[in-house]
Amino acid sequence: MYLNKEQQEMLAGNYGRGCQKAIEIIIQLAEAQGAQELVKISYAHLMPPDVMFYPYGRQGKWANDMTGELTKDVDHLRVPATIEPKFCNLAVAKTLQYPDNIIEEIRDIQGRATDFYERIGVIPTYSALPFYVRPGRFGEHVSIAESISILWYNTMFGSRCERDDGVTSLSAAITGYCPLAGAHLQENRYGEVVIRLGKELDFAKFDDADWDAFSLASSRLCKEKRPVFVGVPRGIGITELKHLLAVIAVESGLAIMHIEGVTPEAPTLEKALGGAKPLTEYTIGKNELMEAYELANTATGSEVDFVLMGCPHLTLKEIRDIAEVLDGKKINKNVRLVAVTTRMLYEQARDLGYVDTIVQSGAEFTYDMCIAFAGTQVKGTIATNSIKADFFYAGFSAEGKRKVRFGSTKDCAKAALTGKWEGKV
Amino acid sequence: MKKKMTGKSIKKLGIIEGEALVTTDLVAFWGGTDWETGDIVEAGHEAKGKNMTGKILVFPAGKGGAGDTFGWYYLYRSGKAPVALLCNRPQNTTLAGALLTDTPMLYAFEEEVEKVIKTGDRVRVDSDKGTVEVL
Repeated sequence: MYLNKEQQEMLAGNYGRGCQKAIEIIIQLAEAQGAQELVKISYAHLMPPDVMFYPYGRQGKWANDMTGELTKDVDHLRVPATIEPKFCNLAVAKTLQYPDNIIEEIRDIQGRATDFYERIGVIPTYSALPFYVRPGRFGEHVSIAESISILWYNTMFGSRCERDDGVTSLSAAITGYCPLAGAHLQENRYGEVVIRLGKELDFAKFDDADWDAFSLASSRLCKEKRPVFVGVPRGIGITELKHLLAVIAVESGLAIMHIEGVTPEAPTLEKALGGAKPLTEYTIGKNELMEAYELANTATGSEVDFVLMGCPHLTLKEIRDIAEVLDGKKINKNVRLVAVTTRMLYEQARDLGYVDTIVQSGAEFTYDMCIAFAGTQVKGTIATNSIKADFFYAGFSAEGKRKVRFGSTKDCAKAALTGKWEGKV
Repeated sequence: MKKKMTGKSIKKLGIIEGEALVTTDLVAFWGGTDWETGDIVEAGHEAKGKNMTGKILVFPAGKGGAGDTFGWYYLYRSGKAPVALLCNRPQNTTLAGALLTDTPMLYAFEEEVEKVIKTGDRVRVDSDKGTVEVL
């Protein structure tokens, strides 16, 4: 594999042990992917395990093991970098049923990790939606560890990134390079299959949950093949896009998809497919959509114990939906509602009065954290507006300790008021 | 029937033999798999309830969040991981996890590997040569 002079010096250890280890990781990955060379990146989004990935107990130690050698003597990053949400904002840790000793462990491991990353220059976004802070540019190479954001930068901006994990993106940020492979290369970016909506359905009538269900149904059909969606309204909003991209990012493991007439590499279906014929064409009808709703609803009774929303972080529109439902009312005494977003959107929501409205109802509303991970330890039935979060809540426990109700943001907020699920399914 | 296929190996880690667990669905190691037991727990998954510990896992590609690599790592550290991975596409979070734990992984075979190997088959994976043999 070709290495330039700077990369060779990194490999020789001239930039310190952390940088040497980081370039070793990137080269090993490049070789495994069959890359011929590395490519310079202009931005990274980090997902350090000791910030986000259950930083307590034995896995808290494992998280440190993963990045210990990598970060030992690193004092700066070579590109601007943002960072994933913390595992838990400690203000809601008790509500999410963490005992005091675990909270102290989280405070220690997560706290030391965030101190370190801020010290080496990470922009402390703690956000699952970094594209609000640092939008991508067409054709630039970036390294991102967050599944919806990987899909978003490739799909919505035409930036180029692979499905990098936390160790890879950190290594890329330390060295400024990542492998020139996968979605960094044009031939791996074209659509392969076409997905359209059945005639009996209408995108214009979709609520946010319908986009999630549509996305799950699509993922179950296209699997690892890159889809081009046709017939999606050109004016599709950021909230609807978040729901569409978030689910497919997790359920299909794709780095890029296309929306005809909406995304930059899909001005036409023909261009999105790179002039080739689609391998298959799928239609998502009412049956497929309902099947997705049924899969996402692993709970059967109508009781709801927790309403957890904000995976990926809530948009202003979702926050407004919650505020509208809760306005002037009190949530049911047997239910806890925890909603989370980014600090940036939280500040906006506060200016607009939504934070007061939500908190006065007895709900908890916070920022900087991952409700999908931190919410996995509660006992009882969870209602959520996200199939991505649902995937972690329902899938996390083999014994099925956590049953999930899935529906729209408004249906979830209503369940917090009544304690009963009255969503679509 | 003896069947041999050639793919691309992510790293030379020697030869390993084991029993195949095959699924035609994508696999997530975090959320889709219980990292403390090795069971596939994802709702609606074709292999739900099957255990991957010590098996040679054969699947089209990995999926899941970008944290799926950490899920794999925790699965590995708790001693519940498969011993080798065979797939069509080297989805990056899966590949990174295999590298991190020195787990043999082969991909890009001439045929869709999950349609050739059957669950329960005895399989020999040669990560040095990039070959898979059904014994």
